[in-house]
Amino acid sequence: MTVQVREHQKTPLWRNATVLKWAAQLFVLGAILAVFALLVSQALTNFASSDISFGWQWLSSPTGVQLREGIDVVPDSGARALLVGIVNTLRVAISGIFAATILGTLIGISRLSKNWIVNKIATVYIETIRNIPLLVQIFFWSALAVTLPALTADDVGEYFFKVSNKGFAFAGIFPGLGWLPWLMFVIVGFFVGRYVAKRRKKYQEDTGKPGHGGRYWFGIVLLSGIIGWFAWPLLGFMSHVFGAIESFVDGLPPVVFPIIIALAAIVGSMWWIRNFFESRRTPAGFGKMTDDDWFRVIFAGVSGVTVAVLAFVVGGFSLETVAGDTQSVAELIRTVIGNFFGWLSAAFAGDVSTIVAETQMRVREGGPLVFSKPAVVLLGAGIPQYARTGLVITVPFFAIWTGVTLYTAAFIAEIVRGGILAVPKGQTEAAQAMGFRRGQYLRLIILPQAFRIILPPMGNQYLNLAKNTSLGLAVAYADIVAVGFTIMNQTGQSLPVVVVWMAFFVTMSLTISAIVNYYNRKMMLVER
Amino acid sequence: MSDNGQTSERILGDPIVITEDVKKWFGDFQALKGVTATVREREVVVIIGPSGSGKSTYIRCINRLEAHQEGTIIVDGTELTNDIKNVEKIRSEVGMVFQQFNLFPHLTVLDNITLAPQWVRKRPKAEAEEMGMALLEQMGIPEQASKYPGQLSGGQQQRVAIARSLAMEPRIMLFDEPTSALDPEMIKEVLDVMKDLAASGMTMIVVTHEMGFAKEVADRVMFFDYGTIVEEGTPEHFFTNPQHDRTKLFLSQIL
Amino acid sequence: MTDMMVAPELEIPPEPPPKGPALWMRENLFSTPASAFMTIVASIIVVLAYRGLLAFVFDPKGRWDAVTFNMKLLMVQAYPAEDLWRVWLSVGFIIVLAAASFAVWRLGGMAEPRNVGRGLMGLGGAIVLGGVLAPFSTSGRIIWIVTGAVILAAGWAMRNLTGERAKDPVIPTMGLVGIAMLIIIALIWTVDLPWPSRDVDGNQIIVQEPIATTTTIPWTLIFALAAIVYVIFRLLGARSSGGAIKGTLTTLWVLSFPVLLLIVLRDPDLDTSKVVSLYLPVFVVFSVVGWLLLAFVSRPKTGEVGRVIGAVLLVVAVISFAFPMPFVIRFLLLLLALFALAAPTFGGEGAANRRYLFGWVGTVLVTTVAALVISSESLVEVPGSFFLGGLSLTIVLAFTSIVLSFPLGIILALARTSTMPIFRLLATTYIELVRGVPLITWLLVAFLMLPVALPNGIEVGGVMRAIGAMTLFNAAYLAENVRGGLQSIHTGQREASKALGLSTLQETVFITLPQALRAVIPALVGQVIATFKDTSLVTIVGLFDLLHMARQVIPAQSQPFSFLGSIKWTLVFAALVYWVFTFTFSRVSQRLEKKLGVGER
Ligand SMILES: Nc1ncnc2c1ncn2[C@@H]1O[C@H](COP(=O)(O)OP(=O)(O)OP(=O)(O)O)[C@@H](O)[C@H]1O
Ligand SMILES: [Mg+2]
Repeated sequence: MTVQVREHQKTPLWRNATVLKWAAQLFVLGAILAVFALLVSQALTNFASSDISFGWQWLSSPTGVQLREGIDVVPDSGARALLVGIVNTLRVAISGIFAATILGTLIGISRLSKNWIVNKIATVYIETIRNIPLLVQIFFWSALAVTLPALTADDVGEYFFKVSNKGFAFAGIFPGLGWLPWLMFVIVGFFVGRYVAKRRKKYQEDTGKPGHGGRYWFGIVLLSGIIGWFAWPLLGFMSHVFGAIESFVDGLPPVVFPIIIALAAIVGSMWWIRNFFESRRTPAGFGKMTDDDWFRVIFAGVSGVTVAVLAFVVGGFSLETVAGDTQSVAELIRTVIGNFFGWLSAAFAGDVSTIVAETQMRVREGGPLVFSKPAVVLLGAGIPQYARTGLVITVPFFAIWTGVTLYTAAFIAEIVRGGILAVPKGQTEAAQAMGFRRGQYLRLIILPQAFRIILPPMGNQYLNLAKNTSLGLAVAYADIVAVGFTIMNQTGQSLPVVVVWMAFFVTMSLTISAIVNYYNRKMMLVER
Repeated sequence: MSDNGQTSERILGDPIVITEDVKKWFGDFQALKGVTATVREREVVVIIGPSGSGKSTYIRCINRLEAHQEGTIIVDGTELTNDIKNVEKIRSEVGMVFQQFNLFPHLTVLDNITLAPQWVRKRPKAEAEEMGMALLEQMGIPEQASKYPGQLSGGQQQRVAIARSLAMEPRIMLFDEPTSALDPEMIKEVLDVMKDLAASGMTMIVVTHEMGFAKEVADRVMFFDYGTIVEEGTPEHFFTNPQHDRTKLFLSQIL
Repeated sequence: MTDMMVAPELEIPPEPPPKGPALWMRENLFSTPASAFMTIVASIIVVLAYRGLLAFVFDPKGRWDAVTFNMKLLMVQAYPAEDLWRVWLSVGFIIVLAAASFAVWRLGGMAEPRNVGRGLMGLGGAIVLGGVLAPFSTSGRIIWIVTGAVILAAGWAMRNLTGERAKDPVIPTMGLVGIAMLIIIALIWTVDLPWPSRDVDGNQIIVQEPIATTTTIPWTLIFALAAIVYVIFRLLGARSSGGAIKGTLTTLWVLSFPVLLLIVLRDPDLDTSKVVSLYLPVFVVFSVVGWLLLAFVSRPKTGEVGRVIGAVLLVVAVISFAFPMPFVIRFLLLLLALFALAAPTFGGEGAANRRYLFGWVGTVLVTTVAALVISSESLVEVPGSFFLGGLSLTIVLAFTSIVLSFPLGIILALARTSTMPIFRLLATTYIELVRGVPLITWLLVAFLMLPVALPNGIEVGGVMRAIGAMTLFNAAYLAENVRGGLQSIHTGQREASKALGLSTLQETVFITLPQALRAVIPALVGQVIATFKDTSLVTIVGLFDLLHMARQVIPAQSQPFSFLGSIKWTLVFAALVYWVFTFTFSRVSQRLEKKLGVGER
């Protein structure tokens, strides 16, 4: 057989697919970076001419910010103010997620109910709520709440429950002096209980006799709670342990912290690259990697080194502290870690100052938990106000919480409904054939299966809810956005505040998706 | 429809597809372990072999749906490298028919056929449609022209897919198990079309489990196993007097 | 039914016996004790909620006068009264166009008498219940109950008296819409609405007066015209297949918004000297030079030289942004580069090439006209920086950002699913960063930081900033939706188009995108609705949209009439407007999806 091979030609560069691909990518990357650099440099020059220089000093210096509500209404530094905002955001987000899940599930099931009127109520709810902008709803709840009766001088006194245009006040149970040591007892009880429950389950499997694992578990937690209620002062010695750790940390040279971070970054990226090579190894060696693979490896290496270098660079930045002297970031990290152990040490010693500021006016005697009732008192100029002794739901909190909860519930209801409908009909039929009643098979057969379908979109709704809490700005709820906005107005530090916002929200998004993904994976494992 | 007397009258031309020591890895799995073969103009080559033996991978390398990593592939005098121009040229000269038809569901049958001639060959629309109708006529389904693929039977879909490839006037046709997703009575429709095509002198490389087709139409049969050509030869030789144990085992299982 | 006669082997399923109300109630309300309990609880909730709603709506102390008196403010803010005909023209054009489209695409459909009857019975029942529950005077109560009873009876008659025919879909739904429009016209001519006024002592009182004729006559005209156009197009459509009509209507839809907004409503002050000195020459030069260049580049014989020219042009266009020159020139340079790069793919020989070249000239024309119009001053004299406000601003924000974010979203989705790692990384970073942070934050960034980040001399108005922020935000969400569609496409599609020799760009435009977009239309519609609702956030950064009027401007008015404390009523009205828009849109798009067979292949 004659083989005619035309002269082997070298591919010219401008026709080489790989070269073209990378040239196009680098060109776009360059163009985007150029635009970005242009904007940033312009912003920096404009700011330089207006006497504002960006920095992070405001984090550790007084900003003069006053907040309507939160764990600390007159924070002494920018960082503290941000912390208050973060806690406020989380408060709405977490309680809203729970409430919206319960309400949404109920409405979603009602939407499938055979009962005509229940079904119609659910439909009307969904179609009304989700077609009206959330912000309109939030304003409406706010407008509604301020038409409640005002507090007058006659209202002064203690209550279990009080409604006024200043908000809703409830009696409640709050952490007392011994709550942290007591919590330790409960947590230990929880794990011991879990261990015992597992043993009981094994016993049940081995012998066939009922093991009552759940009862044992509950009993042990209860018992340790009761023991802890009285025995918590015994843990006072922990105070010394944490105190020792604190002084050890304070004694470390500051450079230790950047070194730890840099080492972690480098080791992490090396480990990743090694694993990657392992997974791509072929009998012919490492040569069979695509350009994509090489890019990943290079990217992993570059990011590891970048983080390591950044750790040292950032660690060297100096900041101004409350006291007025300067401190490097590395020293700041040391202080934060040290303070954390110091706080733990104080908490185990039963120190009053460890109890968050909001409870400062509550009765503090007694054990781990204290019961406290709201009261109406006359402030300075004789204006009636809620004392901070009870659980006070302010009007902004009420508006934003009700708004996001009802709004998200409408979307969750549709997801739940879709998830239940997606469970194959055969499952229902099988369950009915086995003699389950409607309520039973819904709970035991359909919902667990629907849960798998529901989980990912539900995670999206949780993210939306968390992000929607930022609308609190519109009704003056002191969430992270509102606090940042106030700081911006007071100090002019717009760029750093935006960076903080992004860091916070991206972290929150990643956390929520990590939790949802964790459960998702767990579900998948169970399925196999 | 077909007259297999014509098969023997086909005169084979020059080599048109040349593969030399072609190797291909997926991750750390080697799918092709050095395949060397030559296909001549107007030749019909049938590839058989057990599942996972690399048959699809091999013919997909020929029109660079997969990039091989070692060895050379030369199609119609053009070597397959990462030169975009060569790849463009070869793609428009080599037609391919898939097991799952892969018709475009959002286009009508006629649009499926005329799309590539219009935009790749830059034919005027009217001319492309005329040719498309002629091809549908040849496939025996002109009345389906304005339907959507989803409204056709599997055999009809596969014939549209063949027409779609032929509309590009390819010099070589690749078939990857074109009848495996079809019901028995539809298989014949498609095989008849393929026989006609072979009779008309098209160069064809066909992966198939239809041994009848191989015996009747093929000039040569190749047997693949574990990423190599274990044995090849004329159908008579191959089916009546296989040399290799693996070939014998395979044939005994399927015949 | 006659079909059944010719096919006797088909067995007609036995009719279920007709259900009386008692049986219906037993099955749907009291099937089990638990269900009966829920029914009772739910009924109590319904009665209380309905009563509360009626009490709010018909509260004699309610401040609905804040809504009726400020209707113009809520709709178009301070648009000059003598120019209001422009607004009516725009509204009328859109409604008439919609009527024509409904007729041509036959979105109407037919309803079954029993369903219409059921609807009427529900309406009548609700009115009767309202008459019983609401705090009306005796005469009002009687009017409500009688009206409700009449409707109820009509519905019952329709349901039962038409007998067998009740199940034939014979009632055109568009006829029902027409009747509803007639009723609305009748109502706005007759019903009195509250207006603030002063009594002899100068105290503010609220009197009931009919709506000013400034709104009744235009609405009547528009509705009449819409009905006539609907009928005409229905008849036209019955004759021809309507391909040409559909094409014209689609073009009108595409062009109507920019033309109505930028030319009719904005009334630009065209400066002839600028036209002669800049825009006309730009148009001529770019169309002629572009024509010649593209004709050269798209010839198959030109080959790779064409690509090189395109790439060079692209670099030139990018660099041009660093030098001072009219924006329109930079933009056209960029467009020309893109056209040149795409020329080998979409150009060709003969008719296809001519279409491509005319497409270029059309693009240049639209671009120059748009640039000219936007850069001209508006002749509409309003206080403030933007000539629209209230609902009209809300619509402008929503529509513009949706239209602009579509191309960006598609590009991002393609980049994120691309095989090229840097594109993927860039797109993923953008999408995740933008989606991870709430819209309000981006609006604050656009309003507080953008002004300082822009080079000196470039100023962007508040509305433009909001549109920019919302576009960039929306694009990230759209990208994720489109990505879902892209990933749902079978790999075989991509392989088949490659095997046919289609280039990546051709494959994307002809094969991948059409299928991907079609697969995710419901999600895209959801995103459009979300964007419409999200426009309300601009009130936080101080734009005068519908919500801002309702919650800030009107409740703060004390002169000449006081509307202090009217926020609950204005908010409810705003909510109703938003609801009508989103609900209508979602229903119409559902119809459209069914009609186009989305999801079916
Ligand atoms: N994209 C891919 N990624 C990883 N492995 C692949 C890929 N494509 C094919 N393979 C592997 O390569 C081997 C050869 O595959 P190929 O599809 O060529 O087999 P085949 O001979 O066509 O089999 P069949 O008769 O089942 O179609 C198989 O083991 C397959 O698992
Ligand atoms: Mg195969």
